[in-house]
Amino acid sequence: MTSVLASVKGPEIDWAAFSPLLGLFGGALIVLMVGLSSPRVIRAHGVPALTIAAFGATIGLLIWEWNEQVSLIQDALILDRLTILITLLVCVAGIASTLLAWREQAAREIAHGEFFSLLLIAAGGMVVLAASRNLVTTFVGLELLSLPLYILCASRLRSERSLESGLKYLIVGSVGSATLLYGFAMLYGATGETDYAGILTQVVKEGLMGDALFLAAIGMTIVGLAFKASLAPFHQWTPDVYEGAPTPVTAFMSVATKAAALGVIVRLFFTALLPGVDDWRPAWIAIAVISILVGNVGALGQRSLKRMLAFSSIAQAGYLLVGVVVVTELGAEAVVLYLVVYLLANLAAFAVITVRERETGSDAIGSLRGLGARSPILAGAMTLAMLSLAGIPATAGFIGKFRLIEAAADGGYTWLGIVIVVGSMISLAYYLPVVAAMWRPDTEPGVDPATGRAVLAGGAQEAEAERGGWEATLVAAVMGAAILVFGIVPQPLFELVGDVLKGFGTG
Amino acid sequence: MLSTYAPAIVFVVLGTIIGIAFTVLNGVLGTSRPSPAKLDPYESGMASEIKQGFRFGISFYLVAMLFLLFDIEVLFLYPIAVQLRAFGTFALVETIVFIGLLTVALIYVWRRGALTWK
Amino acid sequence: MTIHLSIVLWLPLAFGVLALLVPRSLARWVSLLGTLLTLGYAIALVADYDTAAGGLQYVTDRTWIAELGIHYKLAVTGLNVVLLLTTAILFTAAALWAALRDEPSERAGLYALLMGLAQSGVLGAFLAQDLALFVVFFDLMLVPFYFLTLIWGMDPDKRGAAVLKLFIYTLVGSLLMLVGAIATGVLAADGGSVSFVLSDLQQHLLSNGSQQWIFLVFALAFLIKMPAFPFHGWMPDGYSQMPIAPLAVFTAILSKVAAYGFLQVAIPLFPKAAVQYQELILIFALASVLYGSVMAFTATRLRLILGYSSVAQLGFIVLGIFALNERGADGALLQSVNHALVAAPMIFVVALLAARAGGSEDLRDMGGIAKRAPAFAALFLILSFALLAMPGSANFIGELFILIGLFQAKVAMAFIAAVGVALAAVYALRLYIRSMHNRVGPQVDSREISLREALVLVPMVLVVIALSLYPQFALGRVEQAVKQSLSAATATAGKETP
Repeated sequence: MTSVLASVKGPEIDWAAFSPLLGLFGGALIVLMVGLSSPRVIRAHGVPALTIAAFGATIGLLIWEWNEQVSLIQDALILDRLTILITLLVCVAGIASTLLAWREQAAREIAHGEFFSLLLIAAGGMVVLAASRNLVTTFVGLELLSLPLYILCASRLRSERSLESGLKYLIVGSVGSATLLYGFAMLYGATGETDYAGILTQVVKEGLMGDALFLAAIGMTIVGLAFKASLAPFHQWTPDVYEGAPTPVTAFMSVATKAAALGVIVRLFFTALLPGVDDWRPAWIAIAVISILVGNVGALGQRSLKRMLAFSSIAQAGYLLVGVVVVTELGAEAVVLYLVVYLLANLAAFAVITVRERETGSDAIGSLRGLGARSPILAGAMTLAMLSLAGIPATAGFIGKFRLIEAAADGGYTWLGIVIVVGSMISLAYYLPVVAAMWRPDTEPGVDPATGRAVLAGGAQEAEAERGGWEATLVAAVMGAAILVFGIVPQPLFELVGDVLKGFGTG
Repeated sequence: MLSTYAPAIVFVVLGTIIGIAFTVLNGVLGTSRPSPAKLDPYESGMASEIKQGFRFGISFYLVAMLFLLFDIEVLFLYPIAVQLRAFGTFALVETIVFIGLLTVALIYVWRRGALTWK
Repeated sequence: MTIHLSIVLWLPLAFGVLALLVPRSLARWVSLLGTLLTLGYAIALVADYDTAAGGLQYVTDRTWIAELGIHYKLAVTGLNVVLLLTTAILFTAAALWAALRDEPSERAGLYALLMGLAQSGVLGAFLAQDLALFVVFFDLMLVPFYFLTLIWGMDPDKRGAAVLKLFIYTLVGSLLMLVGAIATGVLAADGGSVSFVLSDLQQHLLSNGSQQWIFLVFALAFLIKMPAFPFHGWMPDGYSQMPIAPLAVFTAILSKVAAYGFLQVAIPLFPKAAVQYQELILIFALASVLYGSVMAFTATRLRLILGYSSVAQLGFIVLGIFALNERGADGALLQSVNHALVAAPMIFVVALLAARAGGSEDLRDMGGIAKRAPAFAALFLILSFALLAMPGSANFIGELFILIGLFQAKVAMAFIAAVGVALAAVYALRLYIRSMHNRVGPQVDSREISLREALVLVPMVLVVIALSLYPQFALGRVEQAVKQSLSAATATAGKETP
């Protein structure tokens, strides 16, 4: 007994490669503690500033580790290009959401320190999830990202909608987690390994393809992950949760969770479960097609922008899956490229919604009316976001969709490319009315159509802009500009996501 | 392989049958003569003072929850304490980090006023 | 490798952006200046185009997106050289119209930007020598019209729905075309590096099966954009709601991009499928001719009369293209230019007529407008004669060529198509007579055309007359390119019917 214990040593940890994670979790601790300080200005402004600093430091560490491919903590986690790219996306989404949350009611209600440290912990969980190469760390990462988000969704303590959103997310999310855990347990039962590489060897060695237990494990895993990534038909929670949660949280969830989920799907299915590709491919194809159809059809006729974007995010996740099912390097690249493009568009849209929600108290499509004349920057950003999500040329969305369809055609699944464009066609019917609402001239000039109150010229507008917050406008402007620039000069995007599978599977 | 579980399965099945059987038999064979005294909750012969709709103070839940959290966290320290020599310095450092994090949590809980009884 | 084409391509957009930045009163004039400079540049290009040499000229070829194999490749060819000039003329006319009439009264800068974007989009679609680039411009040129109609459209209550319908209808086609284009590139590369340059793709034609569905997808996109029967569902609403100047450009030149697309992309890249589906497309075209003519004869709203006449005329153009011989295709290209040059001033005439009939665009409210407006009547009459393809007009030569080509290919269809020629006379003359002559309408106020109105209309009528006198200007330039564009298809057809 003692002899066995004597041989126990600490795991090998590559601290340099581990540093981005430490940046996020350390930042969470510091933010939590600073949030206790008594001066209000430090709580209201110092805490978000520190949060941004933590995300920024993490991005800096990522750039430092850009060309590394090392396994951390004895192959439980790996730092490769995919991890770095997903972490980068999560951090950008984190910075944007922090800016959006700067004046957020919810942050005041549950205390700034808690709000922002939960955000950082969720981001850390996403990184763990995307980097994990072991079923146990995968699950830990998943819970680490889910639990803070449950709380964040319910962080508007005085809003019933928000509490309902949090509770609903908690219950459905737990079902998803449980299903996934069950799947993992069966996977362990079938192979006797928790390590992705070990599972791969075992599956090949034992010839487990087609084995009942293995199939059941794959099925449960797919369902669990589909719950988390809000893919149809496991999406029913998404609209309610997105609508009820505070808008900055929705923005973060819609972008970062999706990035992390797609990251883990690519890693798990491209390595450990690769030999069973013929078993799981039809399932993912079915989920992709259903998501594209359900998401796009569900978004039609929605009055709330957040609900509309919730359905749209289901459809977008369906597009993303097309890059997964072809199981090629081109496909993986297309997925990450599309994630970037999707991030830009969604953050721009949610930034505009945040501003309008503060100004009019509503996230209805009607709240955007007349925005084109009053605030061309916000309206322009929203327009670009909608056109990009629909995939119109000269926006980044077109490039992303082009790459996805190319990956589909290249992988011999051209018909999935057609499904994507059929989805895009339907999507025009709900993206364009948003654009129309902003640019159509006001029928009654001088009256804010959303509130029905008279809008005073000049000074009143500036006062409104102040209430909306310049940080959110900044996010909208930056993301909008990026959509346009990357739509015309996409080369940097391709260089960023090129070699996404570099170092994939080392360690 | 399944045969090793056979005794357990027999035990579970028998337990279920006997449990159900006695409950059902009790209802069928026994006599039932209820009176108010019999139906009252037993409180050492005293008249019951528990009113319906009674609620514990919210602070009770909060403190109970915090107690449980820290209690369970501390539980992790026992096995390490017993075998610390075998685990070596790595475990000691790990434990210190762990306790450090707990301390941070405690400070946070305390400063946020969760320990003040309201 | 020259920069000329990039200049002519982006000049309109650059001036559009400039118009957005200058004071509001100047915006329209900056926009006009931009279109004039583009026109000058286009004239220089056309004059300098070496007809004898043919092929691609002024080639600009840079890699746009290396990873996707998309090249920014522009060139002037026999196919697009005249259409290029036509585009420049029409947008100049539209800008002139806007500047002289102070339209629109609000947000003139944004209007100028959108028109500039539209012109750049159309020019790009014509100039692109890369399949993906073509698709990009083909989609892009539609976007400004969405906003133009949305913000300055006719009926505030209906324009949103109408333009949404237009947008979705046409994007159905072009998004499917996007998949078709990507599949073409990927399949042609066959595992190698993907390239969407048209000349590369022509080197590696696809297998018969792939050609078929991709051709159908492209044909669908083009037929919707034209529009051809039965894909014209967006047209009545869209035409009714679009503001005048954008409508003039839209009906005149955007439909021609589709016709041009057949010759530039669909037939050279998918020759086998083009031969195979020749009759199918011809039937659609024939149906368009007949349906469009009949509807133009029965409609009473002026815009719809012109809209349905466009359906019929585009039907003719497709007939010419899918005769799949040089005579027919030459005629189709000539007719594309003719129709563009006639349709745009006709739309302006509609606005002038409406202004004289108490604001109504309904034919029943008109009549007798010629009474005190002989000059206006003369201009309108010339345009009407051109529209009905009076002998002596360039349209006559265009339709004649198309019919000759069609007679060589499919005699029976040519006979039916000839009926369409007669129908055109019926609806064009009805339009003219019912509005200008007959009993004076209830609210009609016959006024002579003003100097500002004449400044737009007269030059355009002069262009129509000039082309009628010298159709060789267009025909001579297109012949060689048309032969090349059809070569693969005629070779296929020759093999099948030895």
